[in-house]
Amino acid sequence: MDTPGKTRREVVSGLLFVGATVAGPVAAADEFKFGLTPVFLTNDLELLARLRDYLQRRTAHSVRLVTKRTYQEITSLLISGQLDAAWICGFPFVAYKPQLELVAVPVWQGKPLYRSYLITGRDRAAQSLDDLKGDVHAFSDPDSNSGWLVTATALAKRNRFFGQTLFTWGHRNVVRAVASGLATSGSVDGYVYEVMRETEPELIGRTRVVGQSELLGFPPIACAATLASDPRIKRFQKALVGMSEDQEGQSVLRMLRLDGFSVEDSSLFDSIAAEVSVVRGSAG
Amino acid sequence: MSALRLPLSIKMPLVVTIFMAAVAIFVTERVLSRLEETQTRHLHDLATVYLDGLASALTDPVVRDDVWEVFDILDRARQTHAGMKPTETVVASADGRVLASSDPRSTPPWSRLPANLLPGHAATPAVVTRESDGTAVARRDLASADRTVGSVHASFDITPLLAERRSVLVTLLVTNTALTLGFALIAWLTVTRMMRPIQVLTRHLQVGAEHQVSPIPDRTVDRAPGEFRTLFGAFNELAAAVRDREVLSRQLAEEERLASLGRLASGMAHEINNPLGGLFNALDTLKEHGGRTDVRGRTIDLIERGLRGIRNVVRAALVTYRVDGETNVLRAADVEDLRLLIEPEIRRKALILRWSNDGYDEISVSPSTVRQVVLNLLLNACQTTPPEAEVAFDARLEGPFLLVEVSDSGPGLPETARDVLLAKNDRAPIAHSSGLGLWMVRRLVSEAGGAIAVKSRKPTGTTIQITMPLAAEEKLADVA
Repeated sequence: MDTPGKTRREVVSGLLFVGATVAGPVAAADEFKFGLTPVFLTNDLELLARLRDYLQRRTAHSVRLVTKRTYQEITSLLISGQLDAAWICGFPFVAYKPQLELVAVPVWQGKPLYRSYLITGRDRAAQSLDDLKGDVHAFSDPDSNSGWLVTATALAKRNRFFGQTLFTWGHRNVVRAVASGLATSGSVDGYVYEVMRETEPELIGRTRVVGQSELLGFPPIACAATLASDPRIKRFQKALVGMSEDQEGQSVLRMLRLDGFSVEDSSLFDSIAAEVSVVRGSAG
Repeated sequence: MSALRLPLSIKMPLVVTIFMAAVAIFVTERVLSRLEETQTRHLHDLATVYLDGLASALTDPVVRDDVWEVFDILDRARQTHAGMKPTETVVASADGRVLASSDPRSTPPWSRLPANLLPGHAATPAVVTRESDGTAVARRDLASADRTVGSVHASFDITPLLAERRSVLVTLLVTNTALTLGFALIAWLTVTRMMRPIQVLTRHLQVGAEHQVSPIPDRTVDRAPGEFRTLFGAFNELAAAVRDREVLSRQLAEEERLASLGRLASGMAHEINNPLGGLFNALDTLKEHGGRTDVRGRTIDLIERGLRGIRNVVRAALVTYRVDGETNVLRAADVEDLRLLIEPEIRRKALILRWSNDGYDEISVSPSTVRQVVLNLLLNACQTTPPEAEVAFDARLEGPFLLVEVSDSGPGLPETARDVLLAKNDRAPIAHSSGLGLWMVRRLVSEAGGAIAVKSRKPTGTTIQITMPLAAEEKLADVA
């Protein structure tokens, strides 16, 4: 936290930032804008505040966390340069690969990988995706890998498998929809589901997992390809990767239930790219 | 009306109870209807606030057919809404298809709108209460640019409201019942207390009617409240007057008895006196012409007849009033003797006596009873019949009964005497003269198990008929 090597200038800019926050969006043009999607539990305001505090301290820059309702909005803002970086899903990263550059990938349970879950109501006897035919199925987002692409790939050759589908614009909402009975099954991020097991056991208790996908690349943090060598991005990347060695960063990671962030090769998302080609092939 | 005959100590509490019950029913009805109005208004306000609040948020998602967002709004509204909660909220599109429900398991999306919800259009929230199943349903249409795009429905569980009404009803019932019973008790105690002097008076009057009028003790009089002290005083004066009258009428009865005895005695004396003159004449004849055998024999014969007549009269009187040595066999001659006893009265008033005593010789019936009854009736008949008019006597057997009829030509039996005779009114005042004898007749006849009938005679007079039952066969055989 209070590193001995902290320069006078850093302290002054920190103070300036505090003044700016109080005075309002004066320093807006100079903010580091970090976009967030419901790949994790963005509804935890305490977590967001701590994440921002940590990033501001480590990058010595004022940081604004930007959340939108859909992946699409964040992806568009990121590609158009209105966001400096964003925590997006593997699917838009693959889809817009030429325009995007990988900054860091979260490490969960020791690996930068996660799974997609198929869930249904607690009292239902379904054993696999085949048992879910005719369901009202809740997807998270049409730009989500775990919350749409994985299931869509599995059903690429089967038309009108589900009775009805709906998008809930968030993995937590998929769990809510299935738990309440609005949807009879849903496609959800395995990482979000496991975190919710601890944070909202009552809600999770009303659902059960029918199937899990193979391990896929964890939703990454990306920036526009044009900004890849920007020093602000580099500082930001360093802050992310160094989170596990920082006390404040560790408390943020504990809340995220993540081990840390690592720099990975974009080939991590090849399996997702393969899914995209399957879906596009079937669609085309 | 039989209710009017209830005692005052019951009637007053009853009136209080009926009055209180009427007040209680009225008050309960008012309170409950006001409570129902208040609850209905409250429910309507609640539904309006709830549905209006949802409507603005829901319109856009409904236009977009966004099932999730509609559900999300309903879900959040449920989580934050405090107070009386809607049990279910359903949002439907304009064609009556469910978009989302707060309870998707019972009302899944894309299903038809459940029948229990309101089908009609309602630009402002409409609420319908269904007390039978303890629910209320409300509907509000969702409009965008003057076009109805869908509707939002809420159902409320109104069982707490109904339970509140019930508990208010129970409270009112219990309170009113307790009040009514309390007031009835107070009324009963008050009336009973007020009626106590009346009860004292009633008791004394009842005792007076059955036995002898006794005045209310001074101690009770002194303790009685004002008006009743005056009343008690008046009653005590009345009691004293009644006692005086009783003493007087007893004296009167005694005098009457003595008078009737005197009359009988004078008749007997007369009956004895008549032959006595002849006997003294006969004695003079014997003194002067006793030597002549023919005269002596004739005179002694005369004396014997005179003495026999006297003996008969004396014996008749003796037999009539003999109490001991009673036999149970009446001879026709026993009745015939009575003619001898009333003969002087008949002669004195120059009455015509028609006498019929036939058809039996010896019958098993108490002779003293029959003779006393017949003598009394004959004496009464002679007394009431004007001079030179007819008195009739008839005794005969009719089946197992001795039938005796005594008729007079008097002005008719007075009502009081008839009542005494027929035991219609035991306590009828005993009229001056004639009463006591009749009372004795009735007593004797009823003791012997007989019956009395009174008939009017044409053109004038009365016939009194006595029916005396004969004793059973074996008794007759015994006597024989």
